[in-house]
Amino acid sequence: MTGLEATITGFLKLTFLSMVPFVLASQGTMLGGRTGVFNVAQEGIMLVGASVGFLVSYMTGSNLLGAVVAMAVGGLFGLLLAYFTTTLKMDQFVVGLALFFIGMGLSSLLPKLAIGITLTPPVIPTLPDVAVPLLNKIPFIGPILFNQNILVYISVLASIGLWYILFHTNMGLRLRSVGENPKAADALGINVVRNRYLTSIVGGMFIGLAGAYLPMVYTGTFTDLMTKGRGWIAIALTFFGGWSPIPILLGSLFFAAIEVLAFRFQVGGSFIPYQFLIMLPYIATIVVMIFSFGKARPPAFLGQNYDRERRTL
Amino acid sequence: MTQIKKFFPYLIAVLAAFLILGIALWVLKFNPLKAYQTLLFTSFRTPNGFIQTLLKWIPLTLVALAFTVPLSSGKFNIGAEGQMLVGAIGAAAVGILGRDLPPALLLPLVILAGMLAGAFWGLIAAWLLYQFNINEILSTVLLNFISFALIDFVATGPWRDPAAGHPTTVPIGEGGFLPMLVKNPPLHSGLIIAIVVAVAIYFFTSKTSAGYELVVTGANPRASKVHGIDIRKMFLFSMVIGAAAAGLAGAIEVSGVHHRLIEGLHSNFPTLGLIIGLMARGKNQVVPFVAFFIAILEVGGSAMQRTIMVPVQIVLIMEALILIFILLADIIKRRQK
Amino acid sequence: MKKDIILQMHKVNKTFDKVQALSNVDFELKHNEILGLLGGNGAGKTTLMNTLYGLYKMDSGKVVMEDKPITILSPKDAIRQGIGMVHQHFLQINNYTVLENIILGSKVARPLSSNYKDETITIKKLCERFGLEINLSSRVEELPMGTRQKVEILKALYRGAKILILDEPTTNLIPQEVDSLFQTLKIMVTEGLSIVFITHKLREVLSICDRITVLREGKNVVSLTRKDASDEMLVRAMVGEGMDLNKSIMFTDRGTRTGTGTNSDVIKLEGLNKINKDMIQELTDVSLAIKSGEIFGVAGVAGNGQRELAEVVMGIQPVSSGALHFNSEEITSLSTKERIARGFVYIPEDRLADGFLNKASIAHNLILGYHHLPPYSKKGIISWKHVKESSKAMISEYQIKTTGPDEIGGNLSGGNIQRVMIARAFSQPSKLMVAHNPTRGLDIPSMDFVYKKMLEHAATGASTLLLSEDLDELLLISDRIAVMYRGKIVGILPKDKFEKYEIGRLMSGYDLESK
Repeated sequence: MTGLEATITGFLKLTFLSMVPFVLASQGTMLGGRTGVFNVAQEGIMLVGASVGFLVSYMTGSNLLGAVVAMAVGGLFGLLLAYFTTTLKMDQFVVGLALFFIGMGLSSLLPKLAIGITLTPPVIPTLPDVAVPLLNKIPFIGPILFNQNILVYISVLASIGLWYILFHTNMGLRLRSVGENPKAADALGINVVRNRYLTSIVGGMFIGLAGAYLPMVYTGTFTDLMTKGRGWIAIALTFFGGWSPIPILLGSLFFAAIEVLAFRFQVGGSFIPYQFLIMLPYIATIVVMIFSFGKARPPAFLGQNYDRERRTL
Repeated sequence: MTQIKKFFPYLIAVLAAFLILGIALWVLKFNPLKAYQTLLFTSFRTPNGFIQTLLKWIPLTLVALAFTVPLSSGKFNIGAEGQMLVGAIGAAAVGILGRDLPPALLLPLVILAGMLAGAFWGLIAAWLLYQFNINEILSTVLLNFISFALIDFVATGPWRDPAAGHPTTVPIGEGGFLPMLVKNPPLHSGLIIAIVVAVAIYFFTSKTSAGYELVVTGANPRASKVHGIDIRKMFLFSMVIGAAAAGLAGAIEVSGVHHRLIEGLHSNFPTLGLIIGLMARGKNQVVPFVAFFIAILEVGGSAMQRTIMVPVQIVLIMEALILIFILLADIIKRRQK
Repeated sequence: MKKDIILQMHKVNKTFDKVQALSNVDFELKHNEILGLLGGNGAGKTTLMNTLYGLYKMDSGKVVMEDKPITILSPKDAIRQGIGMVHQHFLQINNYTVLENIILGSKVARPLSSNYKDETITIKKLCERFGLEINLSSRVEELPMGTRQKVEILKALYRGAKILILDEPTTNLIPQEVDSLFQTLKIMVTEGLSIVFITHKLREVLSICDRITVLREGKNVVSLTRKDASDEMLVRAMVGEGMDLNKSIMFTDRGTRTGTGTNSDVIKLEGLNKINKDMIQELTDVSLAIKSGEIFGVAGVAGNGQRELAEVVMGIQPVSSGALHFNSEEITSLSTKERIARGFVYIPEDRLADGFLNKASIAHNLILGYHHLPPYSKKGIISWKHVKESSKAMISEYQIKTTGPDEIGGNLSGGNIQRVMIARAFSQPSKLMVAHNPTRGLDIPSMDFVYKKMLEHAATGASTLLLSEDLDELLLISDRIAVMYRGKIVGILPKDKFEKYEIGRLMSGYDLESK
């Protein structure tokens, strides 16, 4: 393999690696949104997922257990979101912001309580690459697509699975109708409340897992505020992907590519001050939103609570 | 009597949060009563404590207003962080460039520069909303991250103070220092500015025709539009005013507290500003009072960490809990009607 | 229970917030009959049926079906009991197809795939049986109103409904489609269904219903067979003693007015075209002129450009080409604010969404749109004293039940919210009033009040552009009627040429299509 080939392969491999938190968090956002629940707490959920995932892994030695607990905590936040908005009918943005604060606070607090202050930062082993036999021998594509850590595969498969469920099963038909017109769905006997709880919780689990990915794959440890805005970017990516699983997957890939590029330039050195390279992913997101906000059609009742007995004149 | 009745559920909410956290503290082997004593009374034990509280109150009030003014028109400005930082950058830039100017000239310029810079940062998000209908929660948050990189660039650039260990600029000209109200402990006149701004904002939204349009736009944008109000202008306008308030907070920190641009000067004010704004249920006139309460908690919280070793994050969690309970209290009030 | 009764509701009570919507209401439906549930707006008819369908929970009461007491806590229960409901505003998923809308929520043969072959066959058989013709793969948002209604009916039939409730089904239909609907209902009855027909229109109830139950203010008034009923009896039942029928506009010939003031044109629309951002032409070459003192009616099935026309006249939406003149001033590019300042008043169709501030005070609501004009405002500062005085006067003149100008709007009952908006519309001196379905949602006395006010308004020389989907209303008080179809004006009829079926033909584009 030539030097250029190696660079490109390395770049693409890193891109697929980096897209995972975006994919998972965006799909989680999309899922809740499809029933009308607009989650804006991703940043907090990812932080607490990262924190808890790291702590559990550190204390038990098992990354798997850490991931599972991170998902459970994410699911719990999803449950709280559903409860406060669907059952208590509080404003979705306000509840989302409150959960964001709690997640953020907990994520910094828990390591201090569990581990305290140490001289050297505590570390966990990062996830190893898992090679898919045979497929990973395909030239060029092999090392990029089929020699990744297991969460890469999971995120791609989950995206495809979500697409199929939402658009090719009866369950998906009902689920989507809740976000498009909850009153119509309700009048046909579809349980709006149950669907909203379900997608909130499962969505939260996705987002918690996205958070756990950061210590388990990137750094091997937890640092305060390590999500660096990825939770918010996930929301933008969901809009960019038109609230559909496959475009979201592709959009996340695109975004990860920009992030990796900026990092590469930073490390490789360039005449641009490195701070502006740091800004690049965020500016790219804004540009992406400019092009997608006009076209993206979110579920009609996104962000609106449903009250069966509320009368309209 | 009915006034007290109105506040009662909120009081219960605060007490409930204190209770729950007290139990958590006890489980973690801390003494809740001692912790609460420090938390609540540090502000009043010494003149220094009180001044510290006031010094925190100033940026907290302004940053909370940065959230509640746009909220009146129905928009969520999460960008107070970036707007405050950019305001600080603007103020410091003018303060350093004009360091030889006399105070009568430099001080107003510094403050004004801060407000305008912050307003500009908010205008970007407001314009994205106006022109492309981009959700302001997303754009303001992204702009926050961009502003972190920006302030790092400025604080490590040509104005960098080589003697400092942490990214900081050289001091601004003395003409740009806010005059002190009290020398020792130091209390700067930013206090007066903040009070004036808070009162002005209240007057604007409740007594003027433009303020009416702002409030009504938030109450029902569609109905407002149908009755002749230019709601898109209102959104923009409210965001810019809020951002200017945040920029002012940044300028005051530079001009009154640090006299230079320090990376991280925004501390946790913006996050708390959001919490204050939400606790105040978006009402501008309640913000200063809630901000004072939070300032007490913040001062007490760091004292608590110093003296009893209770991690200071507990305070943030308590504040978030209080917020949730206050929101719950609203729901209960609504159900009871 | 007698053998011919299929459903009974006993002593149903329902309260919303503080308003008693239903008081001890009894209801009875017989096999294979079409029962008219008659009453003005707010009488409780829809509330009662929504309770039966499980959308509302009754506070107390019993439901008995074919001798067995049943409990309905949600639409799922109602559907299981064989009850189907066609709502006034169709409950459809706009971007789903007809097929998807029909099968939504029901059991399908292959839940893990999107293969609906079996279901398609079943539905096609139903269409044949009941004489309904629909393309199952069209997206519902592309279909005309009459067809969308058929989809709603199919939804109920697909689920094996034995009882079908229709809530004000003729609201969006032209006279010809109404006849067709009635034919379909008769077929359904011979196929074994029992039908509840909710309406406030006397004529319909007397032409199609076997029996009639009248509700007023949430209570039973009378139940009788069609043979025993008469116009006058039913009107009295619906309206009660609170209204003097002899002085009313609706029930006497007071609608005829003497002359229309000067013959000068006050507002002129010339060649208005409007293309929206999705490149759809919403208005095509609309030209009309309204004289001073004239009530100019615009008829049409909902969605044929009425809203766009109203909003273009008010300046809420821009035109793509064409001109508007007001008293020989060209106002095409003036903002809504400027038009309001010149005496334009708008009564929007969806008054709650487009005209009311739920979370603000009554005072805030009453000055909306006029807040920057004297006497409310001077040099940009609002004089709340003047606002309060004005508000108190309006509250008393329009009989708005409230604790005062500071009460939060959302606390008011539905009827009082409407009164606030009527008060706001009629208390400003105005030169042109644009009213879109102004009496929708009002009870009969309030409807009459609005007609009175509109006639008074016209008598002062002011003009009115009345867009209404209620043909009876237009026939009652308009001086001329224009018909809109697909964004075009397809005919303008003077008062002596008003004829329902002719207008219906124009409304359905008949004259155009046949050319």
